[in-house]
Amino acid sequence: MATEVQPGYEVGPAGFRSEEMILNMGPQHPSTHGVLRLVLVLDGETVVQCTPVIGYLHRGMEKIFENRPYMAGPRYIDNADYLSPMLNECCYAGAVEQLMGIEPPRRAQYIRVLVGELERIASHLVAIGTYGLDLGAFTPVLWCFRDREQILDMFESLSGHRFTHNYMRVGGVLYDFPKGWLEQCEKFLDKFEKTSIPELEELLTGNEIFEARTQGVGYIDPQQALAYALTGPVARASGVPFDVRVNRPYGAYREIPVNIKLRQDGDCFARYKVRMDEMGESVRLCRTVLDKLPGGPISVRSPIALRPPRGETYFSVESARGEESLYMISDGSEYPYRAKLRAPSFVNLQVLPELLRGHKIGDVIAILGSIDIVLGDVDR
Amino acid sequence: MDLVPTQNTDLSLTAYDPRQVNVLLQQLAQVDAALGQTIPKRRLTGGAVGIEVSAEQLLDVARLLRDALGFEMMTCVSGVDMIDHLESVYHFRSLRNNWLLQARVKLPAENPRVASLVSLYPSANWLERETYDLFGIVYEGHPDLRRILLDDDFFGHPLLKSFRPTPLTVHDRATTQSSAMQAVAGEQQRNIETITHKHLGQGNEERLHPGKLTFGSAAVFKQTGQGVEPVPEDALNALPEPETLTTDNTEAGPPKEQRG
Repeated sequence: MATEVQPGYEVGPAGFRSEEMILNMGPQHPSTHGVLRLVLVLDGETVVQCTPVIGYLHRGMEKIFENRPYMAGPRYIDNADYLSPMLNECCYAGAVEQLMGIEPPRRAQYIRVLVGELERIASHLVAIGTYGLDLGAFTPVLWCFRDREQILDMFESLSGHRFTHNYMRVGGVLYDFPKGWLEQCEKFLDKFEKTSIPELEELLTGNEIFEARTQGVGYIDPQQALAYALTGPVARASGVPFDVRVNRPYGAYREIPVNIKLRQDGDCFARYKVRMDEMGESVRLCRTVLDKLPGGPISVRSPIALRPPRGETYFSVESARGEESLYMISDGSEYPYRAKLRAPSFVNLQVLPELLRGHKIGDVIAILGSIDIVLGDVDR
Repeated sequence: MDLVPTQNTDLSLTAYDPRQVNVLLQQLAQVDAALGQTIPKRRLTGGAVGIEVSAEQLLDVARLLRDALGFEMMTCVSGVDMIDHLESVYHFRSLRNNWLLQARVKLPAENPRVASLVSLYPSANWLERETYDLFGIVYEGHPDLRRILLDDDFFGHPLLKSFRPTPLTVHDRATTQSSAMQAVAGEQQRNIETITHKHLGQGNEERLHPGKLTFGSAAVFKQTGQGVEPVPEDALNALPEPETLTTDNTEAGPPKEQRG
């Protein structure tokens, strides 16, 4: 099938142009990081047009929220962005707290920051590791998953689950730290900062192949980032100073200032580098929490059947991928009347057809990996 | 689509200050002056401001918000089913002034239509498609208003409170590729030559013998009347007896009385 000639599209010297080919990438393709289908129109190796097809992982999460009590929400929101469930739970618990007008105890807020930043490190480790894998470097993914496994082990001893933690509660957290957990955490942070981050920098940042594949590829203009409402590392790599932890601090971030990590280049390398910088920043935040961790209760006493007053609220947290928000409406009953999850990956993925146009097909994988989507978050 | 250039190239960060809400409430007077009427404004939790806009004014208000007030981002579009009416709720962010604004548009439950904001904010593209998919709100002027999360031949809009699930076997599930970009199903594929029928057991049975309810679908259909084309009771009775039910002890041909 021939499509229309795109403006700026190269026509050969004799007026001929090669026939376009349609390539269906995914939904079962290792480099699409899940079940994402990309329909690519190719001219030779150049992408003329790209149409993402999503929805293969749609579970109707918003409908599930409406049919479960508020208590059950954190367990389901775990599965939205399955690489950073703790941050999702922070979003849900925070939204219901804002709806009810309650504030969790100070210790619970600090614990949320600690586990949230650890989860951000774990999520960025997956992003960077698999990104190296996409571009042909096999070692980073092994080293990243080795470090991530230690974080998951800590979460397991804290909450009982490696992935779907179900740890946050409305008004606090479920368990306090087990014996020796904080020492284990401190040991991990030391080792991670002293050896793991420099190792990764050596493997990827100075790697000539890696630089050649990422620098100057997939440029996002700051105005484009704003127009497409991009958030998270994708926006910050384009110089958009948006970080919910800084712009609208919530929880203990009101007491712990965050240094926003910005890059101006806007290409794939900048997005990778922002994630690396953010891991270092997360380590610093974790240390701050460990230093200042207050005592006291970890949760307020709240009834099992939560009945927030009638009203609506919009609560945002900075997830590992950008602004994650819940627009929640309560009608005074035990069930949310409406809970809209604003998923960062869903909004960030929109810009992909714009980015891919004119790039070679090898860059498709580099650009898609640098946006760092999680299909559970895209489809919900 | 091409980007609409905006003048604000200065990207700087403003620390969050709850008093910013008061500034925003004052600045919204510009919108009032431009529209010639006072739009309802109220403070929301979390340092946000909520306004209520009519469906006709939405495009003008959004243009004012972007150009005059400096709301660079539209972060979220949500649909809400309030049973007697539907709502389309937009969330705008301004980075320069650190504002968060919520605009609510009330739409009738029957035939909800509102102007699309894709021309102003490209981020509205998928967000509006999602709301169309789950609520059935039609965004007029949207370049590509198709279902996004659900299957193309899904019946109904699942986040409506009146939605009841229908068994999958009731509908024909064959899907075909109308163009390279778009897979279609259901009504859309009737006139396309390259239909590939799939053998789907009870689904085919249902299609070949309409009105004869297959396993699992009967209860839902009788309770709600949804999911299959509603067949009136008398029409159901008037249907001829299916041939498959003809057994050996029923002889073919006219009855004995007429034969004799």
